[in-house]
Amino acid sequence: MKAPPFAYARPTTLDGALELLSTHADSKVLAGGQSLLPVMNLRLGAPSLLVDISRIPMLDRIVVDDDGAVTIGALVTHTAVEGSADIARHAPLVAEAAPYIGHRAIRNRGTCVGSIAHADPAAEMPAVCLATDAIMISTSTHGDRVIPASAFFTGFLDTALRDDELLAAVRFPASPPGATGSVVEVSRRHGDYALAGLVCRLVVERGTITDAALAYFGVGPTAERVPEAEALLVGSDGRGPALDRAVEAVEATLDPPSDVHGTTAYRRHLAGVLCRRGVADAIARSTEEVA
Amino acid sequence: MTSPETHHTGTFDTATQGSGLGAFTGTSVKRVEDHRLLVGDGRYVADVVPPGCLHAAFVRSPFPHARLTGIDTSEATRLPGVVSVITGSDIEELTNPFLPFLALPGLYTPLYHSLSSERVRFVGDPVALVVASSRAVAEDAAELVDVTYEVLDGIGTIDRALDPESEPIWPRAKNNLLYDRTTDHGDVEGVFADADHVFTETFRCPRQSNQPMETRGILVEVDSVTGAVSVRAATQAPHMLRWQIAAYARKESGPQSIRSFLTNPERRGAFLAAAKAFVGDKGEALQSSDSTAMQHQLKTEPRTALQMVRTGAQLLGRDDYPHVDADDIGGGFGAKGSVAREEIAVAAAALAIGRSIQWIEDRMENLMDGGQAREEELTLSIACDADGTVRGLDVDLVLDQGAYPGNPVGAPITVRIMEVMQPGAYRFEAFRQRSRIVATNKGKYVAYRGPWANETWARERMINVVARRLGLSQTEIRRKNMYGDEDWPAAMLTGPALDVTCSVRKTLERAEELADLDRLDALRADAVSRGKRLGIGFASYHEAAPGPPDYFEHVNPGTSALLDQPATASVSVDGTIQIWTSQMPHGQSHETTYAQLAADQLGVAIEDIELVYGDTSRAPFDLLGTGGSRGGPVGGGAVRKVGRHLRSVVVAKAADMLEASVDDVTIERGNIHVAGVPARGLTYAEVAARVVADGETVDGRDGTYAFSVDDTYTSAGDGGWSVATHVCWVEVDVETGIVEIPRYLVVEDCGPIINPAIVDGQVRGGVAQGIGAVLYERAAYDEQANPQASTYMDYLIPTATEIPRIEVDHMETLSPGENDHRGVGEGGMIGAPAAITNAIEDAIGVTVNDQHLPPYRILELMGIIRPD
Ligand SMILES: Cc1cc2nc3c(=O)[nH]c(=O)nc-3n(C[C@H](O)[C@H](O)[C@H](O)COP(=O)(O)OP(=O)(O)OC[C@H]3O[C@@H](n4cnc5c(N)ncnc54)[C@H](O)[C@@H]3O)c2cc1C
Repeated sequence: MKAPPFAYARPTTLDGALELLSTHADSKVLAGGQSLLPVMNLRLGAPSLLVDISRIPMLDRIVVDDDGAVTIGALVTHTAVEGSADIARHAPLVAEAAPYIGHRAIRNRGTCVGSIAHADPAAEMPAVCLATDAIMISTSTHGDRVIPASAFFTGFLDTALRDDELLAAVRFPASPPGATGSVVEVSRRHGDYALAGLVCRLVVERGTITDAALAYFGVGPTAERVPEAEALLVGSDGRGPALDRAVEAVEATLDPPSDVHGTTAYRRHLAGVLCRRGVADAIARSTEEVA
Repeated sequence: MTSPETHHTGTFDTATQGSGLGAFTGTSVKRVEDHRLLVGDGRYVADVVPPGCLHAAFVRSPFPHARLTGIDTSEATRLPGVVSVITGSDIEELTNPFLPFLALPGLYTPLYHSLSSERVRFVGDPVALVVASSRAVAEDAAELVDVTYEVLDGIGTIDRALDPESEPIWPRAKNNLLYDRTTDHGDVEGVFADADHVFTETFRCPRQSNQPMETRGILVEVDSVTGAVSVRAATQAPHMLRWQIAAYARKESGPQSIRSFLTNPERRGAFLAAAKAFVGDKGEALQSSDSTAMQHQLKTEPRTALQMVRTGAQLLGRDDYPHVDADDIGGGFGAKGSVAREEIAVAAAALAIGRSIQWIEDRMENLMDGGQAREEELTLSIACDADGTVRGLDVDLVLDQGAYPGNPVGAPITVRIMEVMQPGAYRFEAFRQRSRIVATNKGKYVAYRGPWANETWARERMINVVARRLGLSQTEIRRKNMYGDEDWPAAMLTGPALDVTCSVRKTLERAEELADLDRLDALRADAVSRGKRLGIGFASYHEAAPGPPDYFEHVNPGTSALLDQPATASVSVDGTIQIWTSQMPHGQSHETTYAQLAADQLGVAIEDIELVYGDTSRAPFDLLGTGGSRGGPVGGGAVRKVGRHLRSVVVAKAADMLEASVDDVTIERGNIHVAGVPARGLTYAEVAARVVADGETVDGRDGTYAFSVDDTYTSAGDGGWSVATHVCWVEVDVETGIVEIPRYLVVEDCGPIINPAIVDGQVRGGVAQGIGAVLYERAAYDEQANPQASTYMDYLIPTATEIPRIEVDHMETLSPGENDHRGVGEGGMIGAPAAITNAIEDAIGVTVNDQHLPPYRILELMGIIRPD
């Protein structure tokens, strides 16, 4: 379990990093290394150059705009996300998801943006991005791009990022009034990737759901939303028959993979259970806040 | 949920000054090993890298079953840093094949080499060994070795292996059924015809893997001047490894070996003397051993005889056996009691190249080839009367040994122990067992902590099935049918004697008292109110730790002779004290418990005792090392015996010096004095100095000592059974299938305890592995035998957050024996799977036939989701 040979560079400027990425076809960004290095050690990937971004200034910042939008830089670790009062206040679903990620040692090194760039189908952050309509800010020698989450996760471990692009930050827009949400997941052991998970975000106005996002992870090749179920929730109180129909829509829409940890039927069933639990949690919170 | 406090025998006594006989034994003195290991001063095989050492990596088969049609190493050999690439055909030139060990009548055991050359039999089968300047380079080169395969049908399940048309993994065996034998005890037909009911169920246990923190590893050092070979390894049995390297890692011509034996009168004389002594000692045991096993083997594999003679002659003809040293070991659970093919290949490479080589297994290799266990299918029929009296037991066992046999301990001995132990502590009138061993294209089956545990699992499951069908409670049916004190002396239907140490029923009764059964209904209702189902499961067993004196004669006649335990005790010329054991500690705390036993004999402090082990030039000879719950009873018995012996010779000398009678001399806190006159005492150093002055020193194991005594301990007459009842409470989430364990109770009886804290640790560790077996760990393969769990993403080991508090209650039944500590290392693992699955069945109300119950399987059983 040793990585194949590779070259390593640790530029101290963003431009330096972008230059390396644009001139070396087979290069990869190295952030926390918590996903990339295992892949290399198992010889499932063999990039010829690693561009370590850990010494680039300014990438470790968490910035809150006047309107409450939160921007998380490429070097912000999961642990930093967990500890940030700004994120807890302005992007509570990001804060809520972070503790589910692996174990403390992994969160100390692994980055929030790295997790998004890696796009593991069972990872939490891509689903948070989908549920909250986050925006990816990428950069390269050709300039910056902003990519909405809905267009970013293109397939299994695949994103809209080009090989020469660095994902500089992710921006979570400000929550509208009445927003509530929850993160629920089932994993086999504490800290494992989820068998199935759901990031649920609702907007509730006077007891009625006016907007709904159900972003699942661990149930397909990428994190995915279930618009059929979301539509059934909008206009309802999120309980009783409306919730039952949403659960049915979730089960009818998703086609999860089967592996040693869970069959397709099991994950589909879990997705339904999580819909019930996630929506109930989110609604319970919104009424708590009102009360 | 509240629960009774853990009950400890003995006190937490951290005092380290011995006040005389019996001061330490029975107390929870702190582990001597802890400081060294916790501050990082442990020395594991990977920590030792001599200058110029080369590193090894294996080229392994990516296919479960294939013919190897070509292998091209040229590109790999050209890679800078690569020293050598050794293939399977090279290894046939360099080494001897592995030989059968513990053959059973009718069993086919293949002859095979450490690397495969013509056929690969599982994913991970090593076909070449790359030796290079670093492990990374070796892995790079391994990728460049070009192997061509012709893929064959992979046999991934017991059903496929039993199909007589399945592609034979070992062509000489004709098919994949390697062993099939049925034994009757009592009038099986009669009892089954006469009983009111016969109930039958099939129980399946999928493959698990022994997962020590430290993987396997070996360093073979070759002295560049003398060519002498010394080995460091993570092994539970250093002497076994030494002999096997001597036997297999180099091939010598038969005539050459015989000539060198015959021309060396010293060696010849020593051999004949040893042989005479061995036969003299064990004549009876040897006579009872059965030769039909070997006859069958020779019929199916005639080359066996030739290879045995050749290898035997080689062992006789050599006096340059390698020196093996094992230091700290990060666990083994039985897997490191095997000598690995990789170890022989690395040793052969080092000998051929003449340079030191280290191989440290990585986790992926370990999960594929480090040792797997417990894949068994058992169909049990119980004949019983309407009142719940169990009368007859009929068992059909199939064990999946994987591709290669465990070496030396594996499926055959496990099958025998399973059969002997299968009836448990129940008064059956008749018992039949059919035992089969099949080969599949999977990693090899090895001994794993309580290797026979599935006899307990299947029996204790079936007892619950019978109870449910008859409307009896789990405890009622057990109490009614178990042997108890009124029955002694008794014997199991399979032979071994039962005595007062088989106190299973007492542990059951104690467990019932502690289990607050009157609160069960309230607990169930509370669980339902939270969307859960609560269940409770009992399981009871007795295990041979070490078993009655006749035990091994019933398992495999003739093997008792292997089980004796030598030990040495010495006092150096400077007065320090050593205990020399053939046990090989790898997590069992021998340094602490043996120091407790010895310090009590010798009247000194724990830290005055140095335990010597692991180094074959110093540790007494014993092929088995540590395993089989023998450390406490047999290894400990040897320490006590040799300690008492040493005390007597020291006291004799001191009595001379004190001009007193030996009967009046006592030892307290290292002060050897006439009882009542401590002021005029002597230290060990003073006595040793006088021995030196008087010219009375003796030759000890590796030098000159003031005193040195050797003893051999045979378990005959001592020991007996170690027993327990486990009770598990589970809560099943009916929506997710997730199982939680709100309470777990073990009532165990291993006789008088040496160190309660260590016993608790052994029990809890075993239970944790049992929890792993049922809820998390599965060495999964698909139908074609492709492994599905070759990293820790898929092979899930429970962590601290998954293991509940485990209450341990001790009972300490005395036996008539002298050294009465009974083994406790394996029991936790033996009882746990049965208690947990019984609890799950109780919770969900559906018969549970699988041992492994991940959340999806629970929902399938409950009918909530459909099986894929
Ligand atoms: C045992 C274990 C358990 C884990 N459990 C979970 C879990 O439960 N949930 C979960 O979500 N994750 C889990 N992880 C993964 C963890 O969250 C990683 O930290 C994360 O997926 C990747 O972040 P990183 O900074 O380590 O990225 P790296 O490993 O450095 O990189 C990962 C990939 O993303 C690319 N990349 C990283 N940063 C950028 C960037 N700024 N621009 C462009 N490309 C980039 C890299 O090139 C690489 O391809 C686990 C990891 C381990 C080892």
